[in-house]
Amino acid sequence: MTDEVTDFRATETDSRVGTEASDTRWAQRAALTGLAGLLAACATPGGRLLQRSGQQYSRAQTPEEAARFLLHAQFSASDAEIAAVQQHTYADWLARQFDAPLGQTGWDWLNTRGYGQIANDTRYFDHFYPGDYMVWNQLMTAPDAVRKRLALALSEFFVVSLTGLDFAWRSHAMAHYWDTLARHALGNFRELLEEVSLNPAMGHYLNTKGNQKENAATGRVPDENYAREVMQLFTIGLVQLNPDGTEKTGANGQRLETYTQSDVTQLARVFTGYDFDQRKNVTVVLDPEGKRKVGNTNFAKQRMAFTANRHSELEVRFLGTVIPAKTSGGDALKMALDTLFHHPNVGPFLGRQMIQRLVTSNPSPAYVARVSAAFADNGAGVRGDLRAVFAAILLDDEARSPAGLSDPKFGRLREPMLRLVQWGRTFGITSAQGSWKMGDLSNPATQLGQSPLRSPSVFNFFRPGYVPPATQMAASGAAAPEFQIVTESSVAGYINYLQGVVRNGIYVNDPDLPNNVSNSKNPKNGFDIKASYTSELALASDAKALVARLNLLLCAGQLPSALQARMITALNATPINAASPPDKRLDRVAAAVLLTMAAPQYLVQK
Amino acid sequence: MYLLQPHLHTRRAFLKRSGQLALAGTALPTALNLAALGEAAAATATDYKALVCVFLYGGNDYANTVVTFDPASYAQYATVRGGVGEAGGGIALAHADLQRTLLKPHMPLADGRQYALHPAMTGLADLFNAGQAAVQLNVGPLVVPLTRTQFNSPDRKTYPLPPKLFSHNDQQSIWQSSSPEGSTVGWGGHLGDLALRSNARSLFTCMSITGNAVFLSGDSALQYQVSTGGAVRVRAATDNAVYGSKAVKDLLSQMISEPSAHPLENEYVRVMQRSREAEVHVAAALAGSQSSGATPLATEFPTGNPLADQLKMVARLIQGRDVLGAKRQVFMVSLGGFDLHDNLIAQQPVLMGRVSEAMAAFYRATVELGVAQNVTAFTASDFGRTLTSNGDGSDHGWGGHHLVVGGAVKGRAFYGAPPPVSVGNTAAPQDQWHVGQGRLLPSTAVDQYAATLARWFGVGPQELNGILPNLRQFGATAGRADYPVDLGFMGMPA
Repeated sequence: MTDEVTDFRATETDSRVGTEASDTRWAQRAALTGLAGLLAACATPGGRLLQRSGQQYSRAQTPEEAARFLLHAQFSASDAEIAAVQQHTYADWLARQFDAPLGQTGWDWLNTRGYGQIANDTRYFDHFYPGDYMVWNQLMTAPDAVRKRLALALSEFFVVSLTGLDFAWRSHAMAHYWDTLARHALGNFRELLEEVSLNPAMGHYLNTKGNQKENAATGRVPDENYAREVMQLFTIGLVQLNPDGTEKTGANGQRLETYTQSDVTQLARVFTGYDFDQRKNVTVVLDPEGKRKVGNTNFAKQRMAFTANRHSELEVRFLGTVIPAKTSGGDALKMALDTLFHHPNVGPFLGRQMIQRLVTSNPSPAYVARVSAAFADNGAGVRGDLRAVFAAILLDDEARSPAGLSDPKFGRLREPMLRLVQWGRTFGITSAQGSWKMGDLSNPATQLGQSPLRSPSVFNFFRPGYVPPATQMAASGAAAPEFQIVTESSVAGYINYLQGVVRNGIYVNDPDLPNNVSNSKNPKNGFDIKASYTSELALASDAKALVARLNLLLCAGQLPSALQARMITALNATPINAASPPDKRLDRVAAAVLLTMAAPQYLVQK
Repeated sequence: MYLLQPHLHTRRAFLKRSGQLALAGTALPTALNLAALGEAAAATATDYKALVCVFLYGGNDYANTVVTFDPASYAQYATVRGGVGEAGGGIALAHADLQRTLLKPHMPLADGRQYALHPAMTGLADLFNAGQAAVQLNVGPLVVPLTRTQFNSPDRKTYPLPPKLFSHNDQQSIWQSSSPEGSTVGWGGHLGDLALRSNARSLFTCMSITGNAVFLSGDSALQYQVSTGGAVRVRAATDNAVYGSKAVKDLLSQMISEPSAHPLENEYVRVMQRSREAEVHVAAALAGSQSSGATPLATEFPTGNPLADQLKMVARLIQGRDVLGAKRQVFMVSLGGFDLHDNLIAQQPVLMGRVSEAMAAFYRATVELGVAQNVTAFTASDFGRTLTSNGDGSDHGWGGHHLVVGGAVKGRAFYGAPPPVSVGNTAAPQDQWHVGQGRLLPSTAVDQYAATLARWFGVGPQELNGILPNLRQFGATAGRADYPVDLGFMGMPA
């Protein structure tokens, strides 16, 4: 707070100078005066830090507004959370969530469930499924829901896919990567970038692991994969951007590319010399024949180890930075990542995509510019503060104003995996045996067509610039990223999948055991994972109240009233009363949930 | 015979029709066929033709796919790739392993150049040597013909480059549509635009058995996607009841197909409508091709091969083409995993084997169905890769070698110029066909490759420029007879 007061005084003083800049300064002063007004509105220091000057919508006026905010900031909304949001300003509530302790890590969950054990019969280190169970458990149950929601958004920016990890302890490596995103989601982008760059899962996914310096004798050159993608996807993108995310253009109106092949080739030298850190790994001989030896999990949570004599000592010139020949590996990495971090593209490049993941597919340039500004300076002179970035996204007028509800350009298609997580968290999902055996749900014809940490490539499930052909969006040049995974198969597969899961839950073999070997004789086989619907079953005989509840919790009150009326009529066609058996009550609740979650007005989050 | 009368080929006609389509889009339901637009299914084509794009996602390593074999070139190749296989630490294939897949063209290549396919590609090598497959050498995106000197020139106005070279998503898009990411019309879709009138149900003109890809979207033609199991029926909208309630089923069936004022909602609804309308017809086509009266497809496809699963569905849809009302179709299938920066030697046998076995089985299926002359499959990929090794893989490149398979292909031949095996950066002639580290500078443009396929498909010569924006920079009329519009690998329509 001291810094803000200092800033305010400086502005007061400067505004008397009466130079050309005074108009700008006057605007700043007015904004700061507005800030002063908001200081009173925010009850906590944390909230005051997150609130940015000029924001008009600081508090939810209705339960619907509170639910809408919750569905932007996390996975789901409950009665208690709606009440909590309404009690405070948005910023105060958000600050409290930002400060919430980290929940159990994915890594610890895997080990608690026994997936860290080394045994010849189970061989968990060779399997993908513990990684799927791990992330579903995290998404469905983590108490620090805001942090996990942001981590999931970041997992679609800094993409590592379990599908691409074909080495021992792949699920543990994936868990550590996920934990890294969660731990740093509310930290600084520069630190996150370094952790991601040296993470073993990323190291394997984009080939920094094992990358070696050039060898003139054999003609070998450094692997360029990470050098290219860290620029194209993780920091600056392909074309130069204005702070508002629009593309800069040259004298002939042409786009200006950010880097050349030479930049990639030279930066690749920085990422040589790294490999899995096996120094604390103890090798176990697995089978009596000694054919298979496997180390323990330790390397999968260590930064990759650096070996100087495998690191290129050539000079590196990229993006205007010169890293002199023979610079140490650590210094070269620092110079390279600092160069990327300070590139003017990062704020708008990251900011626009995070807005797309959380709020709307086509943010206005002014919205992107405000988020960029928060990236550039969190208000205390710090660049890259992700708390400031995410708060700027979630508290922005464009996200919070009711105008978005009637603006045809506002909103985004809910991602299939987010729909399922919202369903689970809203209706009290449990895994009776703690198995959380929800696997890879990527099949579009029979499942969701999307599964967390299962992107088909480093380019995520969909691209930020995707424009669905032959649509109104194409006619207006609007992006609709999530439509890249919408097909004639997936729209049908989604409803079919939902129909079973909403009513009965998810069938699990051997829910009492960690392995997924199907044992048809296990009496515990069954729908281990399902929603409890406690509050909804209590309302089952009152179709109107049931629909109203789902409309609030799932849709933030955005279902048209005419559709609600038709839903009530359809539900009432099968009468329910206090004497109706539980399965009939469940039928009705499931029908109401299925109808809601199939509704186009639900599918598009506004 | 061309697909349309000349006055209908123009860009203006495209736009006019797409305008109509946009109208139809808001006045739901969308068209399963365009008869509603006054384009009665005229069935101008009496025969059947299909193009099948086999897209290899990730950027295929050209040098280990169509492998240089003659001793001099092979020695160069093995040196640049750092030696043979994992034992040698490099990423070259062993010469002895290439004997089985040696390609034996009718006409030997100049200078004694010889090629073999990857050792796992026996099926495609056999098809090549039997005359049903051809190789197009060094093809990739170009805006204008380029030399290496011109590539390095600062004069981008005279020597424009394809945008965003070496970037996966953008080069995929450019291969498919001539434009980087964000593009909404591909050349497969343009072929569909011209073919719509030939098909009783235009929705089945452009069919994807993989995910969404811009390749199959035209100005009017829509991409329609089916899974490897066929079209997916929405059970909750078609069963008698949902959770015992007919009223709930009826409402669900209605509400998921009702138009909305919100564009995102409305587009989701349009996909849902297409899904439900088309499913009935696809189910009928596939049922007809499997049971009651018709003989099920007997050709065996390999299992555990995602590309084979997709191509099998293409074959079954072709078998059911009369039920679908299709005379001209463009299909797209794909296989991923080709971005082999690492583990190239270990991974390629699986990937190349899948491509070869799936495409060979698909060819056999077209023979079984009596349409081998009518169906042409071709490969495409983001880009080729470097010739140099990064230790155990290769990095993003530009040009690459591609395969064309089918009874109408003038097979057992190479098309285009064999690029010198070189990574040198001098002014010597052998260093002019790469742009560093053996990234091939394409000597054939994607537009030429596409034009050759399009001409076979029935597109008139005067229609080509409308669907391939860079094509006017190539061919004799552009003064570049060395970059012909017709590459010659397809028999031309009478």
